[in-house]
Amino acid sequence: MSDLIIVDYGAGNIASVKQAVWRAGWDADLSRGPEDLLQADRILLPGVGAAGTAMDRLRAGGYVEALNEAVRKRGAPMLCICVGMQLLAEELHEYGVHQGLGWVAGKVTRLEEKPGRRVPHMGWNKVHKPAGGAAPPPGILDRDTFYYFAHSYEMSGLDPAVIAGEAEYEGLVPAAIRTETVFATQFHPEKSQVEGEKLIAHFMRWKV
Amino acid sequence: MLTRRLIPTLLLRQGRLVKGVRYGEHRDAGNPPSITRAHAAQDADEVLLVDIDASREGRAPDFIAFAKVAEECTMPLTLGGGLTSFDIAQKAMHTGADKLAFCAPALDTPALLDTVARRFGAQAVVLGLDVTQDESGTYALYDYRTGGIVADRTPVAWVKEAVDRGAGEIRLMAVHREGTRAGFDLELYRTIADAVSVPIILEGGAGTLDHLDAAMAAGVEALGLGTMLVFSDNNIVKLRQYLLGCGHVLRR
Repeated sequence: MSDLIIVDYGAGNIASVKQAVWRAGWDADLSRGPEDLLQADRILLPGVGAAGTAMDRLRAGGYVEALNEAVRKRGAPMLCICVGMQLLAEELHEYGVHQGLGWVAGKVTRLEEKPGRRVPHMGWNKVHKPAGGAAPPPGILDRDTFYYFAHSYEMSGLDPAVIAGEAEYEGLVPAAIRTETVFATQFHPEKSQVEGEKLIAHFMRWKV
Repeated sequence: MLTRRLIPTLLLRQGRLVKGVRYGEHRDAGNPPSITRAHAAQDADEVLLVDIDASREGRAPDFIAFAKVAEECTMPLTLGGGLTSFDIAQKAMHTGADKLAFCAPALDTPALLDTVARRFGAQAVVLGLDVTQDESGTYALYDYRTGGIVADRTPVAWVKEAVDRGAGEIRLMAVHREGTRAGFDLELYRTIADAVSVPIILEGGAGTLDHLDAAMAAGVEALGLGTMLVFSDNNIVKLRQYLLGCGHVLRR
């Protein structure tokens, strides 16, 4: 069994994620089915595309119960990336309204376009820890850090107590959240070069 | 604050990189994975790799070269050229693309943009918008497969349609400037930037550091760079330092 299981539900940038984990110094395996999550030390939930479609695939693969069992009951650390983070919300508003995992209060809604704010939010943006928010795993966001973003939808209506990172883009965009043993990023650590590899390494060393 | 991006554009032909002028006169520009590794080491913000012969030759892109570049690319990678069907697009995503660039073939099958955006998200769909000037100086769509102008649509009409269908970013190439080092076409940028609200990568004509400064001062959020990185002593580190010195916001 490898150090990390990547949930392979057909809606992730699996190749990039696996490679970044390897560069950070660990081995990752793809899940062959939900039962692999039950034994996993650590779990990574990637995601690209429409959140509703991703949620349907996660459900159809039988992964929802396995994630509940492994992460919420057993307390395995989980890193969620981009749409993987958005799946934690209660409601996903993209091509209709879909139900998310509901692990955090809030919704996924389209980023508002404004003067100076083109959508998608695309490129490298600086992430800072908000005052009074959640603590990220040790070592992560100890200082403001540039990470790569590529998204048209954002988490909204979050409890400020779960927000572990924010980015400024003509208004604040939730960039990272932390709840119990889950750390989730709207940005892409697997495409954020050295800083992304450091984030993955800190997640892999996180003792919950 | 979102930073401005510097994006090396790599053109693939027969397993090598090439670079030319106005989509012709190509010269060798190196080994794809080695050049990508160098750009990664210098913290290029992204890389765009296009198989420039695939569509013209009616074949799928060179997935072997794509995979070799993807392995070296620690920053986001856009793959393009020969993406004529959903299956080919999906294979390019699985080869390690973060985004896909749809160029001239999308003019024939615009619905492909909807299908790919629906599956991988708008942020993964880049419209390759090739624009040139006709004899009267009017902007017109350019089809590199024929080397001619596309008469049935204007660049503005096509870019609006593509964004409605799901394109989340535009790679705007001023073909009349490509490889000329005459400077970016900022009027063209403004025309397209006013038509759509997705991010735009402007390319074509970069020759001096001043050209980059002028483009960023005009509000261009991302610059595609070919000739300037291939046939001069410039590199990403030097360009970034210069632009930071001009007061632009870049990653550091």
